[in-house]
Amino acid sequence: MSGPVDPRRLVDSVEGADSEIAGQELANEGAIQDEADGLGPTDATSISQAALEREPGGPLLARRKWPLPKQADPAAPLLEVTNLTTYFTLESGTVKAVDGVSFRLDYGEALGIAGESGCGKTTTALSLVQILPSNARIREGSIKLMGIDLVPKTENQLRRYRWREISIVFQGAMNALNPVRRVRDQIAEPLEARLGQSPRDARKRAGELLELVGIPRKRGNAYPHELSGGMRQRAMIAMALACDPAIVIGDEPTTALDVMVQAQILQLLEDLRSKLGLSLILITHDLSVIAETCDRVLMMYAGRIAEEGPVDEVFRRPRHPYTQKLLAAFPNIAADRRSLEVIPGSPPDLRDPPPGCRFAPRCFAAMAICSEEVPPEISFEGVRVACHLYHAGDSGEPVTTAPANAIGPVAEVGAA
Amino acid sequence: MSGRYLLNKILQAIVTIVLLVLLNFLLFRMMPGSPERILGRNPNVSAEAIAATRERWGLDKPVLPDQLVAYVSSIAQGDLGFSFVYRGLPVTDVLADRIWPTVILFGLGEIIAIIVGVSLGAYTGWRRGGVIDHVGNGASLVLYATPYFLLGMFLLLVFAVGLGWFPTYGMYTVGATYSGYLDQFTDFAAHLALPLATVALGLIGQYSIVMRSSIVDTLGDEYVTTARAKGLPERQILRQHALPNAMLPMATLIAINLGYVVAGAITVEVVFNWPGLGTLTVDALSARDYPVLQGIFLVLSVSVVVANLLADLAYQYLDPRVKA
Amino acid sequence: MSSPAAVASGQIAVRRPPGRLRRVIAVLRQVASQRSGALGLAILVFFVFLALFPDVLVGPLQTAVSADGPPMAPPQPGYPLGTDELGRSILNLTVHGARISMIIGLLATLVTVVVGAVIGIVSGFVGGRTDAFLMRITDFFLVIPTFVLALILAPVIAELFGTDGEILGIRITLIVIVVVIGLTSWSSTARIIRSQTLSLKERAFVDRARVIGASPIHMMSRHILINVTDLIVANTVLVFAGAVLTETTLSFVGLGDPFAPSWGEILNSAQAASAPGLGAWWYMAPPGVSIVLVVLAFTLVGGVLDGILNPRLRGRR
Repeated sequence: MSGPVDPRRLVDSVEGADSEIAGQELANEGAIQDEADGLGPTDATSISQAALEREPGGPLLARRKWPLPKQADPAAPLLEVTNLTTYFTLESGTVKAVDGVSFRLDYGEALGIAGESGCGKTTTALSLVQILPSNARIREGSIKLMGIDLVPKTENQLRRYRWREISIVFQGAMNALNPVRRVRDQIAEPLEARLGQSPRDARKRAGELLELVGIPRKRGNAYPHELSGGMRQRAMIAMALACDPAIVIGDEPTTALDVMVQAQILQLLEDLRSKLGLSLILITHDLSVIAETCDRVLMMYAGRIAEEGPVDEVFRRPRHPYTQKLLAAFPNIAADRRSLEVIPGSPPDLRDPPPGCRFAPRCFAAMAICSEEVPPEISFEGVRVACHLYHAGDSGEPVTTAPANAIGPVAEVGAA
Repeated sequence: MSGRYLLNKILQAIVTIVLLVLLNFLLFRMMPGSPERILGRNPNVSAEAIAATRERWGLDKPVLPDQLVAYVSSIAQGDLGFSFVYRGLPVTDVLADRIWPTVILFGLGEIIAIIVGVSLGAYTGWRRGGVIDHVGNGASLVLYATPYFLLGMFLLLVFAVGLGWFPTYGMYTVGATYSGYLDQFTDFAAHLALPLATVALGLIGQYSIVMRSSIVDTLGDEYVTTARAKGLPERQILRQHALPNAMLPMATLIAINLGYVVAGAITVEVVFNWPGLGTLTVDALSARDYPVLQGIFLVLSVSVVVANLLADLAYQYLDPRVKA
Repeated sequence: MSSPAAVASGQIAVRRPPGRLRRVIAVLRQVASQRSGALGLAILVFFVFLALFPDVLVGPLQTAVSADGPPMAPPQPGYPLGTDELGRSILNLTVHGARISMIIGLLATLVTVVVGAVIGIVSGFVGGRTDAFLMRITDFFLVIPTFVLALILAPVIAELFGTDGEILGIRITLIVIVVVIGLTSWSSTARIIRSQTLSLKERAFVDRARVIGASPIHMMSRHILINVTDLIVANTVLVFAGAVLTETTLSFVGLGDPFAPSWGEILNSAQAASAPGLGAWWYMAPPGVSIVLVVLAFTLVGGVLDGILNPRLRGRR
């Protein structure tokens, strides 16, 4: 009997129209690797105590009370990403979202990744633990966490590192937390599932974590929609800290919040960093956030690195024309927030990016070579730039005026 | 659970039931088989007999409010009138015998369909692509286009007549004697199998499609990405995160669907001669036994309204975002 | 745009915007470009063909009098789909049934969509208490088992029309089915149209019309209606599928007309003649398969059409 079942959905599924929706490919299912690593149930109290006793900024290794991954190399840097390349496969073409990105994160450091929407920052973050949509894949490169390359790992093997070594705080929109489960249960979930704690211990620890981020323990009973935006964000931070990870990635953690709350969250992150000795990767398009919170900054444009270096140096003496233009819109970084849409033109369509430097079409200092060759990365005193204005062996002084042979920006590029 | 929301929903249900009773009353007046019309057509009946009958049925009083009040109060007391066909037998008695076979058929069918449909839909939605997915989709599409009774006829043809695995008609073998409860139960179960399969299959087709679509929708939700980032095993993500959220539209569908399933169940009963409300309806229709028809309509409609109300309340339990 | 005077004087021919027919063809092409749409269209074309020329294809509809075959006989030379209990060729009945089922379906769909659209537009546009009232009624019809209601309404409607004869060449019994389906199935259409109307109401052109002083009826018929047409069309095809299913079921339980048998009515006769119990599969398969194919076809085409025409879905693809 014909009923209210929407027949359109029948046709949808027949046509396979849902093939492009985000979803992870199913790998072989098997036992969690955690047990294989010889990790037993952890003592909630001892970890939090230990965490609080950490020396700020000191190496993680000296403080951790639980074993490193078996293959970890204590002498290696915490995170070393080399030539990361992630492409999305669409019906209309291949989107070269991340194209040869390299950077490094040391213990206790806070690295900011900045850039416009669509420049590949989030994809970079998701690539680190490989929770990409099914039509995305890492094509090349290596991601070495404590010397262990994560790229060739299988889904099963990767699980060992997810949340326990690298956790993510997503943009706090309503849906990053499961709307039908209590907040406290969601924080306790990784403790039970990944660390093997009993439900009671896990709930207790969840309460402690909530207190740590400034939420009264009792509020843990609430559902996500019952919390304000700021509290939801704090809850997600608490959740991210549950397994005492080495690295916490914040993907636009303050974007959806108003300025006052944003300041509180940033302050919280800073406190946690010094208390727990966390290493942070902060992804945002808001340069003022990075200026406040981070030690180093990575400027990305159209899937590639434009410039990278200590925040002070990059923001005071920007070398890459993109960075310069961006900062020119900020008369005073610490005080003002402005939109970034002041550079003429728009980012390129990454299905068909321009040859050579991807910023050339919009660059005031573009030269002929810029649209022919990909600029090599040159380093000066800890700053890395990918721009033809700079050559190895130069003084490293920022170039702020267009050179004599510049052809300047051409017409609009890419899809608006 | 908010008290005001609860009250609101109950009030709405009551209003609907009131409308139902009113509608029934109107129809009773308009029915070609109304006592006064039947009487009026027969030229042999004397005027006094007509007047006496009218008085007995209360037709000499004004329609509003007297007849309406009389009707409503008799309904409230459980008096649904008297059957034309089964002379003088109260409609309630006629219905009483036939209710529980329908409840069993319908109830079990729904339960099976929910369990199988939800599982199938969740599985195919989670693991999109693959043979099971495509075959399942095609099958569900065809099932959707097939009236329940046709499906029943097909199953009857293949499994009862063709293969002889099941009996063809009724609820028990006619004239059989049983050596005990187990024996009787086996006979009953054998007769129940095919009609139950028909109802269940028809529903499974719908439920699995909607569930699949619902799961696919949740795959794009951020909390699923969060759950993956937490390194939880796939099965746990499906069960603890995707499924509870995907069940919400599913629950709504099940509730809305109840009215439609009733129609299907009626026709299935006809195919298998299952002695429930369905066959009663068709028999009453052809015999023009309107009191019985109206009684069935009232009982079925009220049941559906109540079921919807319960589903609404259950939904509140499933989705904590829904409050007054 | 030419001046009205010039047009009126016959000097300049009025040209209709080349839209309509070309648009229909373009949409059809789009539907056919998708696998399911192409399949659906092909099936529909086949059955419409059957419905248009039954006499040419199989001769006039056989009756108990003109039946000349052996009763309940399986397929054999001369009777490729077997015979029923009266000796009529099932092929003959099925092909004629196509016309009857489709016509009833079409008429019932028209009634349903007209009622649903009117209620939806009025409710959405006027708003306020009218809206609340109409929606209460709509919800009522959505909740109750309309099938049983249809069964009860049928004899009432039949009384109204008189029990025998024809209207416009269609027998009363079939008209009754049309009316009954129309009266009970309009709710979901009304809801869909109403929500589209609500969103249209906010758009600028409606405000402009109101400022000019257009009457509500004018606004509803000219402005709103034009813009919901796409949605109505997509919805209509799906309603058609439902109408065929409903008519089939109503006929199966006895509301059909044995003298103008639709597919559902043929199945009713089959059931009454104990065809399933006798294993007379040829009696049930042709009308049964036809029903499934036609409903399937409408569903497929309707689904594809909805993807093309539904303004809300257009962005998603």
